[in-house]
Amino acid sequence: MSEATLEQGAAPSAETIDNYKLGMWLYLASEVVIFGTLIAVYAVYRLNNAASVQHVQEELGLTLVSINTFLLLASSWAMVLGLREAQKDNPQGTVRWIGLTALLGTIFVLLQGVEYTELGHAGIHLGNEYGMRFYAPTAFHGAHVIVGVLWALYVMNQARKGVYNARNYLGIEIFGLYWHFVDVVWIFLFTIIYLI
Amino acid sequence: MATITATPGLGTRSAEGAAIRAADLLRWSLDHKIIGLQYMVSSLFFFIVGGTMAMLIRWELLTPALDLMADGTQYNALMTIHGSVMIFLWIIPMMAGFGNYLVPLMLGAKDMAFPWLNAFAFWLIPPAGVLMIGGWLVGPPEAGWTAYPPLSTLFSPDGQTMWAMSLHLLGVSSILGAINFVVTIRNMRPEGMTLWKMPLFVWAVLATAIIQVLATPFLTGGLTLLILDRTAGTSFFDPGSGGDVLLWQNVFWFYSHPAVYIMILPGFGMVSEVLSVHARKPVFGYRAIGLSSMSIALVGFTVWAHHMFTSLQPALRIPFMITSMIIAVPTGIKIFSWLGTIWGGKIRFTSAMLFALGFITLFVFGGIGGIFLAAVPIDIHLHDTYFVVGHFHFVLFGGSVFLIFSGIYHWFPKVTGRRMNERLGQLHFVTTYIGTFFTFVPQHIAGALGLPRRVAMYDPQFTNINTVISLAAFLLGISSLFFIYNILRSLSHGERVGGNPWRALTLEWATTSPPPPWNFRGDPVPFDDPYGYGSDESVAYLDAVERRFPAPEESDGA
Repeated sequence: MSEATLEQGAAPSAETIDNYKLGMWLYLASEVVIFGTLIAVYAVYRLNNAASVQHVQEELGLTLVSINTFLLLASSWAMVLGLREAQKDNPQGTVRWIGLTALLGTIFVLLQGVEYTELGHAGIHLGNEYGMRFYAPTAFHGAHVIVGVLWALYVMNQARKGVYNARNYLGIEIFGLYWHFVDVVWIFLFTIIYLI
Repeated sequence: MATITATPGLGTRSAEGAAIRAADLLRWSLDHKIIGLQYMVSSLFFFIVGGTMAMLIRWELLTPALDLMADGTQYNALMTIHGSVMIFLWIIPMMAGFGNYLVPLMLGAKDMAFPWLNAFAFWLIPPAGVLMIGGWLVGPPEAGWTAYPPLSTLFSPDGQTMWAMSLHLLGVSSILGAINFVVTIRNMRPEGMTLWKMPLFVWAVLATAIIQVLATPFLTGGLTLLILDRTAGTSFFDPGSGGDVLLWQNVFWFYSHPAVYIMILPGFGMVSEVLSVHARKPVFGYRAIGLSSMSIALVGFTVWAHHMFTSLQPALRIPFMITSMIIAVPTGIKIFSWLGTIWGGKIRFTSAMLFALGFITLFVFGGIGGIFLAAVPIDIHLHDTYFVVGHFHFVLFGGSVFLIFSGIYHWFPKVTGRRMNERLGQLHFVTTYIGTFFTFVPQHIAGALGLPRRVAMYDPQFTNINTVISLAAFLLGISSLFFIYNILRSLSHGERVGGNPWRALTLEWATTSPPPPWNFRGDPVPFDDPYGYGSDESVAYLDAVERRFPAPEESDGA
């Protein structure tokens, strides 16, 4: 019942909204655990090999990754504005802002690809003690961004078809929870892997 | 919730008034009852598969030399897949099947919160089963169900990668199913049913689902690293290249110890229902049972390293010994509450009740073996011996599997509209009880005397005890055939029943057997106290249910 109403564009019931939000939060809780495991693997190594990790960090530089962090934060902001346009009954605005979210996410992934290529030239690859612990969490996060971009394109298409309006914007909200989560995970990765 | 009418386009529903047919189980369906049965039937299939492997293992161990296998490698593969199938494809999905079938009915709901997600979670299981068993085609996994590196990274063929992918799928299935349970239980209770008036089975499923959401992802993370190690050239678990073998042990047990409670908590819920109904008495200590489920779920996260007493830093042994002892407390509270429930009751020795009572006796025994292993000095002696094998089989077979049997006897009439044969049920119970006792108690003794686990050949001094174990295990195998025969026979020959053959107060009985496509005609009104047996109000309520959903006339039944 709840799934059908989302498709038809009618206002979802309070129970449906509750169900979807709680379900999404629980899903994100399980994601926290997976990322937590991967980050812990990195963090333990970081604590035990502080000197060599610092050496790698100095080689990496912060320019590219700072730009990427800014892009991802901006995409979350675009996501919020997209939701606000839907609440104001302006589907065109939703399409534009969610489109920007998808675009920024795509650039993030492309720049991450550039970064990986450079690191590969610098000799940091999956076979390294540092490399494997670096790539596992960041690539897992990158995969989440890719899924998020695809999801954003779907939300855009739904908005274009007029599914969302001031009474029904649950689909955007649920996507928003996911997107903000991916953003928050990046803040942690950025801090722990690049800054500390 | 209750006012929503049936909307078309939600997938196959069982036809009005008709029992679910075998063909329905092979289709994509969004009906939680069909999905529940899909879980149960497929897991019963894997029970037979894993059971056959157990028989082969016991045949091999009849004598100290190699009998059946060409070498120890074949034995390793057999016991690895036996363990993995029994845990991940039999007990856990079976519990999910009970949850799926019963939770919406017990809550008076028309379905789960996310029917599509529910179906999706189930359909991850068949491919996972293919990956697990299919390992034999490419070289089977040999590292045991715990898959410790370097056994699972350097020494096991490609089947180990398939094993890890299989567990990945099952983990996702488990997480998605659990999210569905939490949302359903929190949001879809009928008016008047507060948390403290939920059936205890629903409490148990809620506690289980919370564990699944928070513990399973650890396994997902660990398996991801294992697959990377095996395929992508990383060395997370290889100390020779900067990895750490203890990382796997920690991550694995951080999932797999809570997983022990995933396997037993829903059964604890079922036995609370069965004992109360068949002893005609209110549950003793309702809140204590509900809360102890929750505290087991929480404390269960703090005991994982008791599996690693011999590999852990010694300073951490005592803290984990203490938490492991603490978790026996809520379990003890449950045992005493169950004893209080049947104390002075009008006990009916139905097959369901026999298995529930048998469970209490066996589980106390198995639990005490657990206390032995939780104590560091004893564990260091018993580690990696048959005592451990005996212990976890005792609590899994004498615990989870007994409760699954009990639950099937109890809810079979609801699912099919027919009762299972009691005479065959008694035969099943007696043979299972004797078989369980004489298979797994001698394993404790052999382990205490020093027989190591996971060996195909052993010292000749253990010949006699292994022969006893194998013969008892064969009895256990035969007892399961009685059970399967009883199920198949009762499907067509069982005595026809009405909506509420056991005169139980929970909501799943306040509808026809089997329930209609949307579970209830009209809004079901829960009885105020789900275990208020013996009061005049409950008798009046049960009589009303019986008049509304009477047993059919005996025309074609047995």
